[in-house]
Order: sequence, then C-alpha cells, then structure tokens
Amino acid sequence: MASAANANVNAVRETMDVLLEISRLLNTGLDMESLSICVRLCEQGINPEALSAVIKELRKASESLKASENCTN
Amino acid sequence: MATLDQKSPNVLLQSLCCRITGKSEAEVAHQFQYAVRVIGSNYAPTIERDEFLVSEKIKKELLKQRREADAALFSELHRKLQTQGVLKHRWSVLYLLLSLSEDPRKPSSRVGNYGALFAQALPRDAHSTPFYCTRPQSLALGYAERSTGLSASVGTSGISSLGVYTLNGPTPTQPPQSAAAQPLGSRLAWALPLSSSPSSALAPPTARPPLGPPVPATRVIRPRRDGDAAGEVSEAALVRDILYVFQGIDGKFIKMNAQDNCYKIDSKVVLCKSLRDTSSRLAELGWLHNKVRKYTDARSLDRAFGLVGQSFCASLHQELKEYYRLLSVLHSQLQVEDDQGVNMCTESSLTLRRLLVWMYDPKVRLKTLAALVDYCQGRKGGELASAVHAYGKTGDPQMRALVQHILSLVSHPILNFLYRWIYDGELEDTYHEFFVASDPNVKTDRLWHDKYSLRKSMIPSFITMDQARKVLLIGKSINFLHQVCHDRTPPGKITAASKSADTPKDAAELLSDLEGAFQEKIDAAYFDTSKYLLDVLNRNYLLLEHLQAMRRYLLLGQGDFIRHLMDLLKPELARPATTLYQHNLTGILETAVRATNAQYDNAEILKRLDVRLLEVSPGDTGWDVFSLDYHVDGPIATVFTRECMGHYLRVFNFLWRAKRMEYTLTDIWKGQMCNAKLLKTMPELSGVLHQCHILASEMVHFIHQMQYYITFEVLECSWDELWNKVQQAQDLDHIIAAHDVFLDTIISRCLLDNNSRSLLNQLRAIFDQIIEFQSAQDSLYRSALEELTLRLQYEEKKQQREEEGQWGVTAEQEAEEKRRVQEFQETIPKMRSQLRILTHFYQSIVQQFLVLLMTSSDESLRFLSFRLDFNEHYRAREPRLRASLGATRGRRMSNI
Repeated sequence: MASAANANVNAVRETMDVLLEISRLLNTGLDMESLSICVRLCEQGINPEALSAVIKELRKASESLKASENCTN
Repeated sequence: MATLDQKSPNVLLQSLCCRITGKSEAEVAHQFQYAVRVIGSNYAPTIERDEFLVSEKIKKELLKQRREADAALFSELHRKLQTQGVLKHRWSVLYLLLSLSEDPRKPSSRVGNYGALFAQALPRDAHSTPFYCTRPQSLALGYAERSTGLSASVGTSGISSLGVYTLNGPTPTQPPQSAAAQPLGSRLAWALPLSSSPSSALAPPTARPPLGPPVPATRVIRPRRDGDAAGEVSEAALVRDILYVFQGIDGKFIKMNAQDNCYKIDSKVVLCKSLRDTSSRLAELGWLHNKVRKYTDARSLDRAFGLVGQSFCASLHQELKEYYRLLSVLHSQLQVEDDQGVNMCTESSLTLRRLLVWMYDPKVRLKTLAALVDYCQGRKGGELASAVHAYGKTGDPQMRALVQHILSLVSHPILNFLYRWIYDGELEDTYHEFFVASDPNVKTDRLWHDKYSLRKSMIPSFITMDQARKVLLIGKSINFLHQVCHDRTPPGKITAASKSADTPKDAAELLSDLEGAFQEKIDAAYFDTSKYLLDVLNRNYLLLEHLQAMRRYLLLGQGDFIRHLMDLLKPELARPATTLYQHNLTGILETAVRATNAQYDNAEILKRLDVRLLEVSPGDTGWDVFSLDYHVDGPIATVFTRECMGHYLRVFNFLWRAKRMEYTLTDIWKGQMCNAKLLKTMPELSGVLHQCHILASEMVHFIHQMQYYITFEVLECSWDELWNKVQQAQDLDHIIAAHDVFLDTIISRCLLDNNSRSLLNQLRAIFDQIIEFQSAQDSLYRSALEELTLRLQYEEKKQQREEEGQWGVTAEQEAEEKRRVQEFQETIPKMRSQLRILTHFYQSIVQQFLVLLMTSSDESLRFLSFRLDFNEHYRAREPRLRASLGATRGRRMSNI
C-alpha cells in the first residue's frame, strides 16, 4: 500500500519535473508553484485558452502595477 | 505538493493570482473576479484537442527559433510524459504552455492583438503603445478605459495612448450590473482596451488599478456634443425619452399621436433637424412594439382563441421579452451614466446615433413580428399556421429564421392533434382548429361516410391536400374499426407509432423536412391502417364474399339456382299478386337453394337471402311484385348502403323480367315444336302456324341479343373491372368508390337511369307484346288441338263403327262434322289477322326501339342495335331507320 502510494508520488513528481523542463524550454516564465496550480486547473477541465488569457492579463496587470509603483516612488 | 489534490478551481485561481501578481489575497480581489469571469464565459476551447498537433506546433516554434537541440529535447520530454500517464489532460497543459511561451529573442513590444473574447459592435481604434512591458501583450483584455484625447496634455513623446470605453460599467462598485449585462455583449459595443501606458505622465489617472474609472485631470469637451444652446433639448434627455418610447410609453417630448397613429415629437420642442429625424426613426420601434403588444394582450383575453393562437402569442411574448431585456440593458447604461455624474466622459454615453445602430437588428425583428401580427389578424387554428408559413418564404435569412422559429411553435399543437388522430383516432379539438371535423350527430351506421370531414380552411399550407385526405382516412379507419367493427386492437399494434412531436423542437425538425419524414410517417400509418382495416373486413366480415354473393343472387349470376327457382315459382307467380304469401315463397326459395349448387355456399350468405314482395298495385300478377332480397348490416352496410341496395333491387327486377321473357319464349318454342308434328294433318292451319313460327323466331332472336348484351357487355365487364379494383384496393374508400362506379355503370347500361326512360318503356312494351303473343299462341293451339282431337275422335268413331260393320258415318254426322270443320276454318282467318296485327305491332315497337338505340349516346347500345338488326330486316321496312341511320352516321362522323 505504502509502496503503491510512494510509487504514485514518485510518478507525479517525475511528471512535474518533466513539465517544468518543458516550461523552461518554452520560456513561459512559470515557476514551479504556478505551474503546479495551472496543471491542477487544467486537469480539472478548465479551458486552457481562457486560462492562458487570464495569466497574461494578470501578468500585464502586475507589470503595470509595478511600473506605477516605481513611478510614484 | 505531492499529489495533484483536488482543491476547488476557485481556490486555485485565487492562489494563482496571488502568485503571479505577488500580492496578497485582498489586493488581487479585482483580478480574481476578472479571472473568474473570463474562465466562466469560455468553457469550451475553440480549437480541437489534438495533442499531436500541439506538440508539432511547439517543435516548429523551437525550430523557428533555431533551437534544434531544444526541439529534440522537447520530443524526449514529451515522450516521457506520454509514458508516465499521470496527467489526464495532456493536451490542455501543453497548449497552455505553448500559449504562454515567449520567444526570448523578440523585442517586447508588440501590437496588441485582439483575439475576441467579446464581440465588438463598434470599431475600436487601437494604437500601439511603444511603451514596453517586459512581456509582450499578446492578448489585451480588460477594462482599462480610455482617457479622452490626452495626447496634448501629457507630455510624453509620441505616446498617444487612448483609453478604452467602459460601456458596461465595469466599475468595481457595480459588478453585479455588469455581470448581468454581460451576456448581451454582442449587442453593445465592447471595444477592446489597450492598456494605458502607465509610465507616461498619465500617471494620476492610473494611480488606481487601470480597471477603475478614469478621472483624467484634463478633459476635452467633445465638440460633437449637440450644440446645446439654451432651451434646446439635450440629446441625453431625448435618449431618455426614446427609451420610454421603445416600450410604448409616451415620453416627455415624443408622444403618440392617435390620429395619425404614429409617434410625433412635440412641435413646441426646439430641436435641430438631424435630431428630429433620428428620433422619429427610433420612435418607429415604439410603434411596432405597441402593435405587437396590443395583439398579444387582446388575444390573451380571448378564451376561444385556441391552442394554435395561444402558442403564437407565446412566441410573440418570447420575442418581446428579448426586446425588453435589451431595453433594460440600455436603461442600465443610462443609469450608469447618471450615477457617475455629469462629468462622465461623453464618448461613452448613449447617443441617438448609437441607438440607431444598435437597434437596427431589433427593428428588423419587430417589423417582421408586426407584419405577422397584421397578417394574422382574425385567424386561428390551421389558418394561422398557414399565414405564418406564408411569411417564411423570404430571402432574408434572419427573417426566415425568426419566422421558422415561430412557425415551429405554432404548428406544434397542430402536429400534436395530427399524431393523436393518426395513431389513436382521437380528436380533442375544442376550438375547431384542426382540419378534421367530426359531426357528433351522426350515428354509427353512417360513420364512414358522414361523420368525419375535412375543414378545408384549417388545412395549413405546408400540408398538401393529398396528405390531409390521407390523414382523414387514417383516423376514420381507426374509428371505424373501433366502433363499427368492434375491433379493439390497440392502435399501437396496427401501426408502429413513431416518436410524436413532443416538443416544439421536434415540430421544427419535422417542418424542415416536410416532404421526407412527414410524408413517410403519414404514408406508413396510412398503409398499415388501411391494410389492417381491409383485413378485418375480409376476414371477419367476409366483405368480398358478400360482394360475390350479390353478384350470384341479385344479379342472377348463379344460373342453375335462378332457373330452378323460376321453374318452381312459375305456377305461383301466375296468380294475382294479392294472393301471394311471403312464407310460401320463402319455402320455395329454400327448396330451390337446397336443390342446386347454391347449397354449398357459405351459411352466412344463405342466411341473408330472402324474398321480398313489392307494393301491390291493382291488376298485378305475381310476376310484378316478386323480388329477392339480401340483408346487410354492420360494417358491410358501409359498402352496401341503402341506396346501393335499392339499385341492386332495381337491376334485379329488370334482369328478372328479361329472364322471364326468355322463359316464356322457351315455352312458346317448346309448344311449337311439340305441336308442329301433330298439327301437320291440318293443312289449313299451316299458314297460321307458319306466321307464329316466324314471329316466335323474331322474338327469340331479339331476346337472345338482349340477354347477351346484358349478361356479357354489361354485367360481366363491369364486374371484372370491379373485382380488379377491389383486389387492388388500398383502403375502404377505394372499394366504396369502385362499387359505386360499378352500380352506376350497370344502371345506365341496363337502361334504368333517367336518361333512358324512353328506351326502357319501349323495352317493356316489347316484353308485353311477347306475353300477348304467348297468350295468343296458346289460345290458337288450344283451339287447334281441340279441333284436332275432335277430328281424331270422329275418325276413331268412324273407324270403330266400320269395324262393327256399321256405316262409318251417317250423313248427318258427316254433315255435322263438315259444318264443324267449316266453322273451324272460318276462325282461321281471324286468327291469322290477329297474328298479323300482333306481328305488325311487335315489329313497329322493335323498330322504334332500334331508332332510339341508334341515337343513344352509349356506344354499346349502338352496337346492340347493329346486332339486333344484323340483316337489316327492320331497316328495310322502316324508312325512319334508314334515314336515322344515315343521319346518325353523319352526326357521328361530325362528332369524330
């Protein structure tokens, strides 16, 4: 039982590593945690197009926020 | 995180937001809402889920960037991913990574590329912001709004970033409104925003997150604002008014003018011409709306409007509801503007022009609805459906779609009626909307003919007359089976009831394929039901057997039976009619049946055979009142109605008479044959006898030809036709029609109909003559035979006395004898003259008959005249015949 669970965990970890590699290759800018959240969302059936749009928008927002903060500072 | 545990997507999203923006949860609330909205409104991906395709795309991207090694590496990793099988939605993840990927070589600025998540109705002007971000904006969505015309006021070089419309009130303070109005995004302008570049000195407005409303320090008053001289009505006020008018409520300036039946702007109001025009155009919508509304309101009160009408009103209601929703959106927009105060940027407000554009589609729809309403005034039921269908024949696809939708709703009750009628035979039509009408006063015996009829006005135009007739027939058959044949098979057994139109969607499907599926359904039901009905009739009620029995008995088809019957009946019928008793005759009938082949018939048939005595007029003999009868009841009576039976009896009468003539002549001939030898010894009679013989042969020939004509040309041919048709008949109506045609033909050919009355009279006269001749001949033979016996007696006596040795005859005996012979011979000329008169009379009647035949319109009768006069014996005597022959020949030639 434990071994099965362990095996499962290992498999999952490997998958995540692979995905992180791919993500790095493609230069997506996602770190491990964000990537894991994204993967979980995709697995739950969220439309990847919408999700990527959201992420881009969030990045843009955060950029502009940062820029404005820099400005004011 | 060890496993992909199941947190709810919302939570995940929130954490994602926090992560990416690097802020705490409270601050990212806005972004989170936005994210939820985006995800929520785009459930299904727009492209195909093809993992292979995605991986190929990724490789291509990498190769484009001249990173072959990386491409190979990616393939490796992809393969590993596939073997691991932990992920379920690999495609999703890969696609996500692909879309987030960035080319590290490219500069970061890129023109905004407006993938459309929301449709835009108005063009948007987009300018690139050369102001960079580290990440290029591949998709710019959001609610950054425009700041108005700020190029001059903010002193950055060459940056003219324009904000964006906020038309949906995406202010953080009013999210629910925007959420509600969101689904109608296609109707309102959603220009895509472009982010205002924060680093420009537009800073102050963008101090807040760019999704907030702008309060730019400087604003340019839009010169496009209507020249607001004092006292003139502002556009905003007009817009408000118009929004009321759209719903049919009088506004402040625009009121309904009842006389002209239009909306008029109050003439006291000062308005520039363009505004006036625009608002008049917009006011039309209000008028259209009123029209439709009036109709639906009036009809909903009408209780007798029927199901079809009600569904029509329901569909109109639906459309109006859509319209109202649009209006409410516009209202809310107006509200937003009001709430935000006067210093709202004017570009984003509602103007009359914008209304014109946005309301174009609704106007077209309302126009169609109003036209429909006009056309459908006062109609209901199938008529209404026809009216709506007529409107569907248009080239404009929008209008057609709308009308089709309404038509499917409207025809749904009709199709329901239809299916119930076809499959169950039930008709529940309180408002008389269906095209099959049932007459409740009709009793079961006339069910087939009278009870159900087509209401022609209610046949919808998408159902052809042929289909309607079939439908009527199917339901009629089912009811007939139930009530008259007492056949209780559930209709489900008769024909496999296919899925009926349960929902309007089914009705729409059916309507789109009227020739195919609908016709098939009807045909299938028709064949099955009719076949079943015919089976029942033939099996249980022996319809075909009865038809044949009619032929055999009433139409004298069973020769041996008829002959025997006549033989037995002859002595009875010679008596005066008043002395006849029915039971006697019935007994004789039974005897005849038992003695001939008729006894092998079906008992059911023999049961129905009977004797009927017609009404007695004074002076009638039995011959005139005798008739056979055949009882029918139940389902058979549908085919053999009372009228039909009347016809049959008339034909029987005629045939019976003709047969009697044949008999009479046979007797005459017999007598002649027998007595010819005997009377050879009386040479003085030979002349008379010769005359008799001649006359008798003429009559025999005539009657033969008549019989031939009747039996073969009339009865056999028509019967053959009838039998063929009946065998091939597909339903009961065919059988009834064929039977009627059969009877009509027989009656007209047997000279029994109204046109041939003169011919019939002539024929009767001929028959009478024959009978007279028979009696004359009888008396002749009687006296001749008497004379003969007397003479023989005399001879015998003479012989005897001679043998006894006395004188054979005494003188006085001889004298007496001579005297008697003399007397006898004197009667001969009388007889001769009598016969001559008879002959003459007979021939003249026959000639008249021939003349009439020659000029008759029926071909077979004309041929009959040829046969009757085959050696032109009559033609020689009758000048009229000669003339008429020529005349008719000429006439006939001209007719050809």
